[in-house]
Amino acid sequence: MSWEFFLVTLITIGVAFGGLMGTIAYLILVERRLAAFIQDRYGPNRVGWAGLLQPIADGAKFLLKEDVIPGYVNKTLYILGPSIAVFTAMAGFAIVPFGPVDQAPSWMRFVIAPDVNIGMIYIFCVGSLGVYGVILGGWASNNKYSSLGSMRASAQVVSYEIPLGMSIIGVVLMTSSLSLNDILMHQANQGVLGWNVWTQPLALLIFFVSALAETNRLPFDLSECEQELVGGFHTEYSSMKFALYFLGEYAHIITVCFLTAILFFGGWQFPLIAEADSAYLGATLVKVVVLLTKVLMIILLIMFIRWTIPRFRFDQLMNLAWLGLIPMAAMNILVVMTAKQFDWPIWTLPLGSLAIFVAAGLIGTSGKFIVSDQTVDFSESPEGYVHVHS
Amino acid sequence: MNWVSENIALIVTLVLLGANILLLFPSTGRKSGIPGFLLLPVTLAGLGWVFLQPTGDIVRDLLFYMAGGTAVLGGLLMTTQRNPVYAALWFAVATLGVCGLFVINSAPFLAAVTIIVYAGAIVVTFVFVIMLAQQEQGSGYDRIPQQPFLATVLGCLLVGTMLLGIEKTFGPESSRLSVDRTALHVSSLPVENDLGSPGGVGRSLFTDYLFAVELAGTVLLVATIGAIAIAPRRPQGSL
Repeated sequence: MSWEFFLVTLITIGVAFGGLMGTIAYLILVERRLAAFIQDRYGPNRVGWAGLLQPIADGAKFLLKEDVIPGYVNKTLYILGPSIAVFTAMAGFAIVPFGPVDQAPSWMRFVIAPDVNIGMIYIFCVGSLGVYGVILGGWASNNKYSSLGSMRASAQVVSYEIPLGMSIIGVVLMTSSLSLNDILMHQANQGVLGWNVWTQPLALLIFFVSALAETNRLPFDLSECEQELVGGFHTEYSSMKFALYFLGEYAHIITVCFLTAILFFGGWQFPLIAEADSAYLGATLVKVVVLLTKVLMIILLIMFIRWTIPRFRFDQLMNLAWLGLIPMAAMNILVVMTAKQFDWPIWTLPLGSLAIFVAAGLIGTSGKFIVSDQTVDFSESPEGYVHVHS
Repeated sequence: MNWVSENIALIVTLVLLGANILLLFPSTGRKSGIPGFLLLPVTLAGLGWVFLQPTGDIVRDLLFYMAGGTAVLGGLLMTTQRNPVYAALWFAVATLGVCGLFVINSAPFLAAVTIIVYAGAIVVTFVFVIMLAQQEQGSGYDRIPQQPFLATVLGCLLVGTMLLGIEKTFGPESSRLSVDRTALHVSSLPVENDLGSPGGVGRSLFTDYLFAVELAGTVLLVATIGAIAIAPRRPQGSL
């Protein structure tokens, strides 16, 4: 623990934090412009050139607006809620590498906490605390809509943590390491065909869907759906406290996109320009840019999904997790374990994923399967509830 | 009397702890909890004095005091809160403190898993149930403890007994109470580099403790099957 180490850590935290904050501000602008594009309108284009100063105007407005704390709220927990939301979202980023860690310049590392040997588990650990922000905010608001929103959110987040954790076990088994950088290097050393997306497509699907639910994004933003719950858990929040919830949510999304890029899309690896052994001048910069581009692509995909798929109903949401994703994730682990144990060739893994997917689809759409002595009918229920005939 | 003078630090601290818990308990007669909160730093300092002889590593000592203090504070306030939601939250804080102690003793995997399971899932379920069940404050007999004095005395006695037991088992002869870590390492724990890492924990679980793990797995499987058998709604009522 020398002074240099301390200083380098501080610089890294500064770079990561500043970069994250600036990115979030402009992602909100991108999201608004994209939404406007999809809905055939202009979007915010008045402040600065083509709306480029809009985030600064938004920030100033958030800071300067009157900060209303309603008289009927539980004040301590009301203030604690957004703080926890931001804190957990930021802390989760600590072990995410945002560049080639081995080739980092001497004055900065590309990951804040490099020696956390529990890797992914740390992210789940911090993420599982994030639900407190939503629960406390909703409950402290002392408002029926907020309480309903926070209850939905907590049920949703606790349920979707399970498939999220199970989906990456396959990837971890392939690499024999929990560290994100090891997983990244394992893919980078094998070139573009070594990306986990080829060997673990089903895990990618489960991970991405669960991550959307974990971050309360559409189509899973049941906790704040405005038609039913006004604003959900943040109905009573105004000005900067509302902005903090927003900030936490976006930081969470960015972390999840980094994870997707690193776990499944090879991180900074890209054919020809950014291979594991490329060491030309500026290779480090190119690798960082490649990784950030991949992350940006995934964020844009999430934004497109927002305006493409309508919101789920709550029972559909729960059924998707417990009847769809969790059994599929369990089967996926089984397939990967078997393939590893008997040294099956690598191309059996995507076939296994496909087989599980097809089997799950057949079970889901054939409508009827027998649970002990009753028939559970998923297809012919007009209200979407599961009907049990005996 | 020899025994009392040997363990005077422990006894004084436990009495302090008990008095503090009694002062913090909600009661009908006394409105303010201020004396209890004023006594709190003294109690924490006493506990810290009893439990850790400085190891010389300032960072480590400081982290120990912070994590241990958080755990004790969380536990104290959990038992004495009137509002069940606050009690559940203080339980989560106590869990975080204990996990801090795990991290200091190089068991990060255990710490992370404890946070995921306890703070992230079990306490969330508590809070969930409390919010669903109790929209307004509970009735009068729910809001004050029924046997505060007896409960405090028994609790402190239990803590004291356990601490003395630990000291007799692991501790050297001549310490106030602290467990001598070097002795602990040599005698009972295998010294490995990856002791607390996921790999080390997994290897240990599936070699040294295989029987216990399989037994626990079987019990959990039985419980799961039972839950599946009981849970579904049937036309003629449940099983």
